[in-house]
Amino acid sequence: MKGKTLIIRLAVLAVAAALAAVMMVIGRGHTLYFDNKTIEDYQGQEYKAFERVVVTVKGEEVAKLGKRERGMATWIGQDFKMVLEITEKKGDEPRIEEISIQLPYGVDGVVINLPAYLAGLPEDAWFSEFVPMVEEEPSEEDLPGEGDGFGLEGDMGLEGDLGV
Amino acid sequence: MKLKKNFDVIEFLKNNLVPIMFIIICAICIPLSGLSPSYLLNEIVTRMGRNIFLILSLLIPIMAGMGLNFGMTLGAMAGQIALIFVTDWQIWGIPGVVLAMILSVPLSVLFGLVCGKLMNMAKGREMIVGYMMNYTGTGFYQLIVLYLMGLIIPIKHTSIRLPRGYGIRTTVNLTSLRQCLDNEFAIFFKGVKIPVLNFIIIAGLCLFVVWFRRTKLGQDMRAVGQDMGVAQAAGINVDRTRIVAIIMSTVLAGFGQIIYLQNIGNFPTYTAHSQIGMFCIAALLVGGASVEKASIGNVFLGVILFHTMFIVAPKAGVTITGDAMIGEYFRVFVSYGVITLALVMYEIKKRRSRSLGGALLAQAQREGGTQS
Repeated sequence: MKGKTLIIRLAVLAVAAALAAVMMVIGRGHTLYFDNKTIEDYQGQEYKAFERVVVTVKGEEVAKLGKRERGMATWIGQDFKMVLEITEKKGDEPRIEEISIQLPYGVDGVVINLPAYLAGLPEDAWFSEFVPMVEEEPSEEDLPGEGDGFGLEGDMGLEGDLGV
Repeated sequence: MKLKKNFDVIEFLKNNLVPIMFIIICAICIPLSGLSPSYLLNEIVTRMGRNIFLILSLLIPIMAGMGLNFGMTLGAMAGQIALIFVTDWQIWGIPGVVLAMILSVPLSVLFGLVCGKLMNMAKGREMIVGYMMNYTGTGFYQLIVLYLMGLIIPIKHTSIRLPRGYGIRTTVNLTSLRQCLDNEFAIFFKGVKIPVLNFIIIAGLCLFVVWFRRTKLGQDMRAVGQDMGVAQAAGINVDRTRIVAIIMSTVLAGFGQIIYLQNIGNFPTYTAHSQIGMFCIAALLVGGASVEKASIGNVFLGVILFHTMFIVAPKAGVTITGDAMIGEYFRVFVSYGVITLALVMYEIKKRRSRSLGGALLAQAQREGGTQS
């Protein structure tokens, strides 16, 4: 192989690897859950839930939370931004806060306790990982290679197979 | 000044028998289906956006004289494996699609290389080799996806892993990628959604195909496609050129499958690839292509006609017979039938040109004998 060709191939490989790495960072998806719940005893202090919180993400209103309610949004990337419209007590004028949170790369589901976060508490007070409930094991799925069809049973219907 | 050759109606009909037949079928079925023009147009535009890239991947092997690449299914498998990883790693949206495309390339290149080498061992029988490679590839794919994923290849999420702890579930959900390309820059015109980004990507590939034909490698492929012996004598590395053609087709098929599946939003893990080659080839042939000649125009015409039939046939079947399944059977029968017809016509044409060549040679020898 000529030296120039080898350099070009290595450069293409490097660009592809770099592009893949960038995509992995900027495309990492997270599901965020917002809790408007009272924290009853954090270092002996109570942080009360707000009367009402409206959560707006990317200009879209994703949740209107009363006390003890949870909302949800999805976000791509780690630099999460949202706008909160907070009514602290009944009859109060709502205030608006713009919030930016750096999400950890390895966590799929993030639960944010809004009263704790807005009170400026440390991360362990307002941040937790959402762990989905373990699903009941469904009955055995119809896998290929079982039976005498050589795994070709679904071969008859062109696009119909894909549910189109 | 040279006079233009007279237009021969019979020759034209003979050369365009399949598209004309499909135009007639569509012309009959569209009014019978009772579908509104906007619905029909919307469906056709959506299907164009998701299928054309896959079908364009067939053009390069035809250019290199390797016929219809049934082996494109291997590329589709590579695309699906990449999509499984992207889903497990939770890479969403367009970055997820781009990453899946990048990940599919090494697999597609490997599959294409093996397929190309085998096809070089069976020159003249590329289509049947490609077709059988699908089944070999399916077995290999099942080994990876059903047993190695989760056991050796780490798969983190239980949502895609089988409850037994290894293997991938029978359906992979692509909600996080669903229609991310279709919706980007999409415009609505009189109730018809036009997936602009998809069409930009397709236009890019069309331009690439046009440009590629003019490159040295493209010219080599055309030379190999016309006559391998002459190409070899002219110093072209025939085997290498053919392998490159199949690799390119497989890589593009992998990209096409990713574009296709992001539009659908989920895929049956063990069967999504199985018929992709068949219906892409059927669509290309419906557009007027043959085993030895295909153009971008054939791709577009084929997708429009083939998918119009796909959309209207079940409804027309209901109107005519009261049973939607009749239309379903009809479209499957026509799809396979058109491939059979194209292969038979190709063989007849080849035999005719061979016997014509033999007759001309015999005549030349006779004339030569008389003169001496």
